[in-house]
Amino acid sequence: MPNVSRRWFPLGAVAVLAAAILAFPSLAPNPYILSSGVVVLNYAVLATSWNFVGGFTGYISLGHGALAGLGGYATGLLVTKADLPSFVALIVAALLVAVLAVPLGLAALRVRGASFVIVSIALVLILLLVFQSWASLTGGSRGLVVPRPFPGLLRPEHHRVFFYLYAALLAIAVLTWWLLDRSRFGLGLKAIREDEDKAEALGTPTYAYKLIVFVLSAAFTALSGGLYALWFGDLDPVFQFSVLTGSYLVLMALLGGVRTLFGPLVGALIVGTALEYFKTEFGSTPLHLVATGVLLAVVVLVMPDGVLPAIAAGWRRLRPGEQSSIREMTAADLAEQRHRSRQDDRSGPQGDQPAAGETREEVRG
Amino acid sequence: MPSGGLLLQSIILGLLLGGLYALLAAGLTLYFGIMRVVMIAHSAFLILAAYLAWWSNERLGVDPLLSLLVTVPLFFGAGVLLQRMLLSRLRAATLTMMSVLLTFAIALIIEGLLGYAFSGTQRRIQLGYGSASFGLFGARIAVVKLIAFGLAVLALGSLYLLMKRTSFGWALRATIQHQDAARLVGIDTERIAGFGFGLGLATAAVGGTALSLDTTIYPSLHWHWIGPLMAIIVVGGLGSVPGAAAAAMLLGLGQSLLQIPMGTTWAQTVFYVALFATLAFRPQGFFGGRLAQRF
Repeated sequence: MPNVSRRWFPLGAVAVLAAAILAFPSLAPNPYILSSGVVVLNYAVLATSWNFVGGFTGYISLGHGALAGLGGYATGLLVTKADLPSFVALIVAALLVAVLAVPLGLAALRVRGASFVIVSIALVLILLLVFQSWASLTGGSRGLVVPRPFPGLLRPEHHRVFFYLYAALLAIAVLTWWLLDRSRFGLGLKAIREDEDKAEALGTPTYAYKLIVFVLSAAFTALSGGLYALWFGDLDPVFQFSVLTGSYLVLMALLGGVRTLFGPLVGALIVGTALEYFKTEFGSTPLHLVATGVLLAVVVLVMPDGVLPAIAAGWRRLRPGEQSSIREMTAADLAEQRHRSRQDDRSGPQGDQPAAGETREEVRG
Repeated sequence: MPSGGLLLQSIILGLLLGGLYALLAAGLTLYFGIMRVVMIAHSAFLILAAYLAWWSNERLGVDPLLSLLVTVPLFFGAGVLLQRMLLSRLRAATLTMMSVLLTFAIALIIEGLLGYAFSGTQRRIQLGYGSASFGLFGARIAVVKLIAFGLAVLALGSLYLLMKRTSFGWALRATIQHQDAARLVGIDTERIAGFGFGLGLATAAVGGTALSLDTTIYPSLHWHWIGPLMAIIVVGGLGSVPGAAAAAMLLGLGQSLLQIPMGTTWAQTVFYVALFATLAFRPQGFFGGRLAQRF
């Protein structure tokens, strides 16, 4: 870190963010807004959990909604059928999902890229099928009612307690991500993201690394889903095992920036708020699908690196004196450069225009 | 043990269904071969075509098969535009992942717009010959299923001839095999790739029309198709058209046969079981699969 302001600025931002989150329940004008806050925090935890896989290894999963749903159902079933205390059930459920994630990861992570996404989508569809059809256990489409952990609390108080529980879980998830980011393990994971073949050639146990981080991500996702079950108290397979949930998480993480610690959190704040707004604005019409789709397409096409890196790049451009860090070329940049030079060679009239995020990464150093 | 007639009927229905699966999987395989793109929106376009067929029957009173005259060129154009305007703009290094997200977004937009335009109500084409069927050794086969299968075979056959017998097909296969080498021998690979996408989407138009003949359609139906189709192209080995066709027939048959003891809902799990088993034991797919190893 070259100078003081760059070191203190992130810390200050974190402090402001934490203060804003902690103060939100007292500032929320009514219980509905507060419950929206819980939903958004749930998304923030889920998106951060997703980013353990998506951000570090570059494997994009559209199936994390299903892992959250599994966590929710496991928690609910452990409370209702096994009579476990609510929060014991939550922990046990997360462990169960983590164990289940091992064979899932073993199958999904053997192949790269496309197949992984296909498996993640298939996971959602198959679980939806199972949980809808296996009505004797899960209640099927009638849903599963989960008893509240604090029966004495009034509704606004209930929201408030769960808001803080989610905030605590978010803090743990973000801290874990930060620790991984600085560890040797995290370095190996990022090597996988940049070039899996080279990482493997250099001795990184890529398969084991991917599996470990997938299981970790699944556990955090299940914790968030389980907490949701305890908070909301009613589970329906259609919402628990929805491909949409997975796509929301991807959208949030991408929009915020998958390579940054707070990217998914910021993305969740933006997209989660937007989703709650769409819900009130469009009601039950399918236009919220269109809105989500358009947003996702724009993010993928225009700023696949997210808003935080875009802002950071703008900041660096404003203060040119600070460009002292060495920015290595990623495999993505190199491929991009090759692609671009190839298109220049052809010098066809249809050479496409650089998208917003693409001009920013030159070699420095 | 089910009766012989029921068994025969399941086998025939399974093969007929497999034909439709094979056609749709051929489209998906084409996209993957050309650009390493997994086209999630394929089945959304399928449902869109089915809705257009239903709409032309309901509002214009024409036979749904006639809607092919409009939908096939329309979808071809849409496919070319999709490739040239959107997918070719994605970065090369993250193309596979990002294209999944982009086509996923397109699927959401199509589903949302279909729901907005036609509401979520379940729709079904009422045809004069809709309930006609004939017996064959104790099995009852609906005529519309046979028409759907015939359409699929016809489309697959013309796709095969186009790929093998024309210079365009030659250029397309060259582009799929090795893009740089194809460019070196003077093939305009960008243009060919666009046309390849158009062809893929045209298969969705044919498939959707075939589907609309005997299926109740609703906007979110595409999720029920994308899972099986994805399973088929993975089992077939990503990028191999004959592999996808073989896997489609096999899994269609499996689904149809399993419906006898397990019921329609649980029979769908055969696709996912096959998908996970393939990835666990033979990730490059059971047929062909030269391309899949690179990913």
